Amino acid sequence: MGKIIRFRLNGRPVSIYVENNELLLNVLREKLGVMSPKYGCGIGECGACTVLLDGEPVLSCLTLAVEVDGKDVVTAEGLAKDSELDVVQRAFIEEGAIQCGYCIPGFILVAKKLLEENPEPDEDFIREYIRGNLCRCTGYVNIVRAIKRAAEELKFHVGKNKQV
Amino acid sequence: MASSSLKQEGFRYIGKRTPRKDGVAKVSGQMRYTYDIYLPGMLYGRILKSPYPHAKIKNIDVSEAEKMGAVVITFKDVPKKKFNIRLVSADRVNYKDWEVLTDHPKYVGDYVAAVAAETEELAQKAVEAIKIEWEVFEPLLDPFESMKDGRPKIHNKILFGSKEITVKNNVACRLDYSEGDVEKAFKEADVVIERTFKTNRRYHMQLEPKVTVAKPEPDGGITVWTTTQTIHNTRILISQVFDIPMSKVNVKKLPIGGSFGSSIQTNLVTLVAVALALKAGRPVKIALSREEDMYEHSSYQMYFRLKVAARKDGTILAGELENTMDIGGHQIQAYPLLGCLLGWFVSLYKWKNIKYKGIAVYTNKVPACAFRGYGNPQITWAVESVIDELAEALGIDPIELRLKNYVGRGDLFWGQGPTVKSVVKSDGVPELLKKGAELIGWYNRPQPGEQKGRFRRGIGLGRGFHTSGAGGRISGEVIDFTGCILKINEDGSVDYITALQDHGGGSLDAHAKIIAEELGVPLEKINIIWADTQTTVYDVCTHASRGTYVGGEAARRAAREVKKKLLEYAVRLLGDVVNPEALNIKPDEELGQGVIYVEGMPDKKITVGEVAREAWQRNWGSVAAVVSYRATNSPPAYTVYFVEVEVDTETGRLRPVRVVAGADVGTVINPDLAAGQLHGGFAQGWGMAVLEDTPYDPETGELMCRGFITDYKIMTAQDLPKVDDFTVIFASTHEPTGPFGAKGLGEAALNPVAGAVANAIYNAIGVRLYELPITPEKILKALKERGLK
Ligand code: FES
Ligand code: FES
Repeated sequence: MGKIIRFRLNGRPVSIYVENNELLLNVLREKLGVMSPKYGCGIGECGACTVLLDGEPVLSCLTLAVEVDGKDVVTAEGLAKDSELDVVQRAFIEEGAIQCGYCIPGFILVAKKLLEENPEPDEDFIREYIRGNLCRCTGYVNIVRAIKRAAEELKFHVGKNKQV
Repeated sequence: MASSSLKQEGFRYIGKRTPRKDGVAKVSGQMRYTYDIYLPGMLYGRILKSPYPHAKIKNIDVSEAEKMGAVVITFKDVPKKKFNIRLVSADRVNYKDWEVLTDHPKYVGDYVAAVAAETEELAQKAVEAIKIEWEVFEPLLDPFESMKDGRPKIHNKILFGSKEITVKNNVACRLDYSEGDVEKAFKEADVVIERTFKTNRRYHMQLEPKVTVAKPEPDGGITVWTTTQTIHNTRILISQVFDIPMSKVNVKKLPIGGSFGSSIQTNLVTLVAVALALKAGRPVKIALSREEDMYEHSSYQMYFRLKVAARKDGTILAGELENTMDIGGHQIQAYPLLGCLLGWFVSLYKWKNIKYKGIAVYTNKVPACAFRGYGNPQITWAVESVIDELAEALGIDPIELRLKNYVGRGDLFWGQGPTVKSVVKSDGVPELLKKGAELIGWYNRPQPGEQKGRFRRGIGLGRGFHTSGAGGRISGEVIDFTGCILKINEDGSVDYITALQDHGGGSLDAHAKIIAEELGVPLEKINIIWADTQTTVYDVCTHASRGTYVGGEAARRAAREVKKKLLEYAVRLLGDVVNPEALNIKPDEELGQGVIYVEGMPDKKITVGEVAREAWQRNWGSVAAVVSYRATNSPPAYTVYFVEVEVDTETGRLRPVRVVAGADVGTVINPDLAAGQLHGGFAQGWGMAVLEDTPYDPETGELMCRGFITDYKIMTAQDLPKVDDFTVIFASTHEPTGPFGAKGLGEAALNPVAGAVANAIYNAIGVRLYELPITPEKILKALKERGLK
């Protein structure tokens, strides 16, 4: 049993038939070819499968595909504008925050929301906010730095009244 | 905060922060890992795993599964061969006890059958429809129990090289060694300390679980995408097990979502996927779940008895070590590890008199394999604990005692057990200890046990090293060489083609910088190719922290060859230049090209692009090189950790307050990525010291956490020190045998952490614990027992 769902995926309208019990993670990866949400545990413990659903980070391994009907889904593939990387993406590269990279799309999406919620986060706030995302490689130091840097850059841009 | 004293002025790329080449693909979600491979028409595979820790199949019935339309294989359908899934050791010393599928599972999770079907769901249903009648044995979960007489035999006949041998008392292998006379030294010493230690069995928890896609080819060959640290050894193993010529087995190199040693071997899932694909005649993908992955690999759990002796003046006189290793149900590298463990031990301090007894024991547990540091974090924890005790007993500052006795410049270093030795040529230990002590405030640290309040802080030091590769002057028991192909394209851009895998640490970015530096072309011009076994020359494996030291030198040599050819062609094109020695190359960032020029004559020049183009247009041929390189040294990368820990004596909880991580890696090639190794190394080491373990249910032989990471925690961002409380320092050394003076780092970045943490805990509360992980429960118990609360 299933149904056709319609939603926006990285800005583009999508309509697709899904089973009622199908997980968003699998639909994105296997039916829509969007690979940045990663399988890391399937039980909501690692954050590698994070996507933004109407702007909120959700774990796609725990989200049924039918739940996104009529909503807006953004993944790491959809952050670049006119092939320009997003500030957060750039900050991750500039701070050397990437190693194997498997966890990185999840962190970047959570960081996007974090900065929207709190444009001037202190380190405790950042660490608490990203604690649901696991990284085995980096020890999080350069990830935290990257988020701080992105905050700085956004502040600078806003100061100059630029669109970000 | 990263402060560093980098002695590498004059380099254009080495030591400079540059954006990693795979960065854009990784941040934009476009990097394709093996988990992301989906082929048209592929089937999904699932594996039937033993629910029992030790059992035999009396009867297996797959008819129901086949009726569902699934392709099924059991032990009856796979080659009857025993092999070792790791091929890094020379074949003559490789113990072989693995089969593709077995009727005699040796741990919960051992593979007995597999199916492939149109969907993963159907495959799962088919797996569940397989009926088995079992004969179940008493599980052996403790190595000391396992070794006793009359216990069930986990293995009977196995192979050593090509010789069949019989396993006795579940002992997988042994190694004994002695030098000098420890008994005499113990008698003559002023201080003798003897302790026993027990380490944890940790799970790698690399973010990407193991996964393989295998595609049969019309010529009888097979193409394989898999999570591996070595595409060539994977190819060789597939070829050997399935009798397919190597030229028809092609293993692709893909990025891997972390590994930390868990894929030095070809994980068995790869062979099962190949077997299924061959039978089905269609591509098959098997992607392990996290729970399954936790039943695939773990670290070696070790039990040490360590006895050391010293004279009053702080001269160490003897070191005796008994090492009992719980290796689980199969051998992956138990035998070489017995040797390496000895090597790490003798390379930590100059014991003078040495006695070692190593024994590796089968248990009915997940097979243990290398985990970042390959036993070195375990032994360094034990030795660094005892060295601190020795310092206290002698009334000597721990830094001083270490400086007096450590294995440093001019001493013999065992890079990979008894058959891989070289003389230390670069050594930043004194510099790191001095700077680190200043930064952490070493000389103001408290006296152990003097504090009274609820929160007590202490500072501890751990010193260690890891090898850079497994090279040496004689061939030994370890295979270690690497190759690459470098070619200048017809427009002057450069393709760098190597089988060497980069797990994310940045080895390949280091290679690109080395090539750019040597060749004199802009870094942007160097393209790192994702290749496969058909288009690369052999590289043994990315392990032993050899990526930069060995692989980087291969790249440098290839660059030299290519440069020679370029200059020869440039001489022809520049007319009156006398010979190639008259020419230099340097990058011109504006032109985006390397420029070949004559010193002092700015007009006498031509770009690398022009030379390449002319060589093409005039039919001179390609500018390319193939290199295969064996290192004749394996220098130690030294690391030093100073850690400040806070103990909450109410809850027993520990908090890392400050860290100073010092590394002697010779020339630093990627400063930000090198610091990243230390950050990640500390996080893993802190987890090893205080948190991670995989205990077993004694009744069922299952993991207590049953594979769920809900109960196998790793450190989160909240559990680790603040950015400004984590200082990284690099020694200003130069390794004469390394590419531009560089050594390895990945494993050294972890090795001394647990030792430093244990010493910091002692400094805070005056209690030493000899069993990892040092959990809050253990802390509370110890405080209570000693009336320190
Ligand atoms: S895969 Fe969804 S939280 Fe781990
Ligand atoms: S970069 Fe590898 S898990 Fe985060």
